[in-house]
Amino acid sequence: MPEDLAIRIEDLSISYKVSLEAKRTLKNAVMRASLKQKERTRTIEAVKHLTLDVPHGSVLGIVGSNGAGKSTLMRCVAGILSPTEGRVTVNGKISTLLALGVGFNPALSGRDNIILGGLASGLNMDEISDKTDEIAAFAALPDGFIDLPVRTYSSGMYGRLSFAVAVSMTPDILLLDEALSAGDAAFKEKSFERMRQLCAEARTIVIVSHALATVTDLCDSAIWMHKGQMLSKGKPEAIVDEYLKFLNVGSLPSSYEDM
Amino acid sequence: MPVNENFVPKIQVFEPHRASLPPLIPYLKEFWTRRVFATELARFSDKAEYLDSRLGKVWLVLNPLLLGLIYYLVVEIIRPGGGLPGLTRLDHLLIGLFTFYFAQNCVTAGALSITAGGRLILNQAFPRALLPFSCTIQAFQQYLPTIPVYIFVLVVGKWAYPTTEVPGWTWNFFWIPFIVICTGLTGFGLALIFATLNVYFRDTNKLLTYITRIWMYLSPVLWLPNSLRGNMKILLWINPLGPVLSATSRVWVNGASPSKNTILGCIFWAIASIMIGGYFFISRERDFAIRI
Ligand SMILES: Nc1ncnc2c1ncn2[C@@H]1O[C@H](COP(=O)(O)OP(=O)(O)OP(=O)(O)O)[C@@H](O)[C@H]1O
Ligand SMILES: [Mg+2]
Repeated sequence: MPEDLAIRIEDLSISYKVSLEAKRTLKNAVMRASLKQKERTRTIEAVKHLTLDVPHGSVLGIVGSNGAGKSTLMRCVAGILSPTEGRVTVNGKISTLLALGVGFNPALSGRDNIILGGLASGLNMDEISDKTDEIAAFAALPDGFIDLPVRTYSSGMYGRLSFAVAVSMTPDILLLDEALSAGDAAFKEKSFERMRQLCAEARTIVIVSHALATVTDLCDSAIWMHKGQMLSKGKPEAIVDEYLKFLNVGSLPSSYEDM
Repeated sequence: MPVNENFVPKIQVFEPHRASLPPLIPYLKEFWTRRVFATELARFSDKAEYLDSRLGKVWLVLNPLLLGLIYYLVVEIIRPGGGLPGLTRLDHLLIGLFTFYFAQNCVTAGALSITAGGRLILNQAFPRALLPFSCTIQAFQQYLPTIPVYIFVLVVGKWAYPTTEVPGWTWNFFWIPFIVICTGLTGFGLALIFATLNVYFRDTNKLLTYITRIWMYLSPVLWLPNSLRGNMKILLWINPLGPVLSATSRVWVNGASPSKNTILGCIFWAIASIMIGGYFFISRERDFAIRI
């Protein structure tokens, strides 16, 4: 892989095999076996033959409608899902902030969760104790919420904390999946600031967002995904325009019809 | 073009896999570097569990003691009189029960660790075996306070029945760390198997409540290992916890060192559980994220 690339995705396909049963249980499996039935499953191709290079220091935006496969792609780049076909090569330390937030245990305080999240992502205790205060300060939760159980947080407070944790890891590659949607205007401004700073340090960022302004503001290139395929790639303004047109018209432009 | 000065090249390649093992050396390295995560997770889960109840820590001690009392009553009622003096039987029962519960807690908590690890598994890449491992540590932390309970019962018992054969101090107690490690390893290995099964079949943990109960009756906890006759003796060997429980009773209650075969049995089951459980779990863990 060329040295200036942070992420190289080659002909990547990811599919989920979904059971159509309400719950997969041993009981059902035994029942099926005794009736000589096969399990009813459906294969969902969430990402189809996607090829993409992301150079170091670039900010890539990904747009697309619900179920387009954006989160699936991000999970694969983070090494959480493995590809069904193709290959993903990543060069650098990854930090992820995916749609569900970090692995927060709702019964524990924000501070304890920061420590656990950091340890899971491979930091050691010293590094984390240095960072905990910094993260708490960045998240700037009101009146001592940082020491209250996470279950008492509002979704915005939760989002702030997740974002603060993800950016504090000084990753080489930062993956953000709808990370900024819950914060208020002030926090959004602050997080934009932080992301610009990370870009200035030549770190690579991939942003998935339904807030298209985020994509045009922050990214220097963008792709549009639709039903698992990458339909187009280019300057963020152009891609967002195209995507908006599609949203308003509701059908794909004729040039894509044979895809 | 700005340059990221802290950049450390670290190339990772993600490719399709079959049900074979990922490269083991990097896996174990990652596991080792994140071991603190497992210990802290165990500590924090304890904290979360007992945060609300002031009696939390007391329950850790009270719970096994009450269970011991219940089973003692049951055993005494089923087999009135009969052979051994009461204190020996009580001691055997208590330490057997505490050791069995240590292994059982490893397995039952570990079995749920993956399916309950939802967000952590969907959002972060790390060796998944850390989650059941953390349950093993937690089970060990719950096992520790039962030792003073046992010793307390022993001391009071010896004071009340000065003629009892239950030993005071002996050098054979140095076998205890060995037994505890073997128990923990066996429990961890079995936890890996059941954690994997529970991802594929969500009713595994329901089944497990029955399995552990039967398992306990088949283990030398409520009965003494040397009370088995003839072919029944095989129960002590085909049961993964058979050798460690025999050894436990022999060291704690008789103050003697375990027999050579028992020691070999302990080592065999510890290694076998880890190897089989490890293979089963690690070869499938890359599937976990799409199945939970
Ligand atoms: N855990 C899963 N099991 C089975 N199918 C899944 C799973 N996660 C996602 N899918 C399917 O994969 C496809 C892509 O989903 P994905 O979450 O990647 O979409 P997305 O682009 O992130 O959508 P959104 O904008 O709603 O977040 C969808 O059809 C979805 O049904
Ligand atoms: Mg998504």
